[in-house]
Amino acid sequence: MKKILLLGGTAGLLALCGCYTPTVNSVENTPTVGQRQFITDRRVVADADLAKSVALVKLNTATTPDDLLQVQVELHNGTWSLARFAYRFEWFDAQGMQVDNVLSATIASQIEGGEDKFISGIAPHPGCKDFRVKFIKTK
Amino acid sequence: MKKLILLPVLALGTVLLGLGCGTNAHYVATGGRENIVSTGEINIQDYLQAAEDSTKSLLASGALNRVPNPPAVVGVGRIINNTSQQIDTDLLTKKIRVALLQSGKAITSTTYGLGGQGEDPLAQQMQQQDKTAQRIPDFSLSGKIIQTLARAGDTHQATYSFQLSLTDRQGLAVWEGEKEITKQGKRASVGF
Repeated sequence: MKKILLLGGTAGLLALCGCYTPTVNSVENTPTVGQRQFITDRRVVADADLAKSVALVKLNTATTPDDLLQVQVELHNGTWSLARFAYRFEWFDAQGMQVDNVLSATIASQIEGGEDKFISGIAPHPGCKDFRVKFIKTK
Repeated sequence: MKKLILLPVLALGTVLLGLGCGTNAHYVATGGRENIVSTGEINIQDYLQAAEDSTKSLLASGALNRVPNPPAVVGVGRIINNTSQQIDTDLLTKKIRVALLQSGKAITSTTYGLGGQGEDPLAQQMQQQDKTAQRIPDFSLSGKIIQTLARAGDTHQATYSFQLSLTDRQGLAVWEGEKEITKQGKRASVGF
């Protein structure tokens, strides 16, 4: 009986020490001054776990002073644990052709449990009219 | 009898294990999730991320639009390497230059350089013959790459700071960007 209690206690302590991951609380002004221009989107979910830990909330766009399309994606981690992921922006012109871009880097990122996070991309050329963002789970 | 059966099975197992564990050379996407990540050096995906972030910030700032005759002309100045490794800073600057050219917002001068040494001597000679073709850069791009190391037991951590400045002819930094990339681990691994 003592052994069981000892084992249980040790396991509990280890769980507290090793598995605890902080979640995020936040506060913001309301009503907000900046008005985001939200756009409709089409989503393809191949990884349901990723779609929960890196959930897409909303998309909004703007134009830079250089007439480049700027995209902001709001993400939310719907789990209690830290999620690591990578994302990549792809850009398309008015004819739907993908625009070759030396800077289409796969960006490693992470989001804490319960956190809201924004990622953004800027079109490499003023001719870019459409975009796609790809997400993948990482280690 | 048992030994006779056991020996070939063991030999076959060893061969199969050898074949299975070794990774044959293969192509991977540059900057993709299969790239090797090491804390002791700057990996290609780090240059890509730093270049992407810097270009994004520079284009969003609109600083390149503030020239009398667009597109702006940029001269590449000194990028100081303050890391422990020998690096070619073109791995960072070339990506930014290509992206700026593709955006149509800036052109890089290959005939203006530190100490009057342009990166293309032939183009510099051609330009000297034709004085009317000379155009002084509107901006200079300079920067620094810094490495910060930390260690706790077997765990190593390295932060690489990519700092860039765009300075106009008056000597004013009209845009500055900094991208920090931190990597942590006990040894190099494959993937993000």
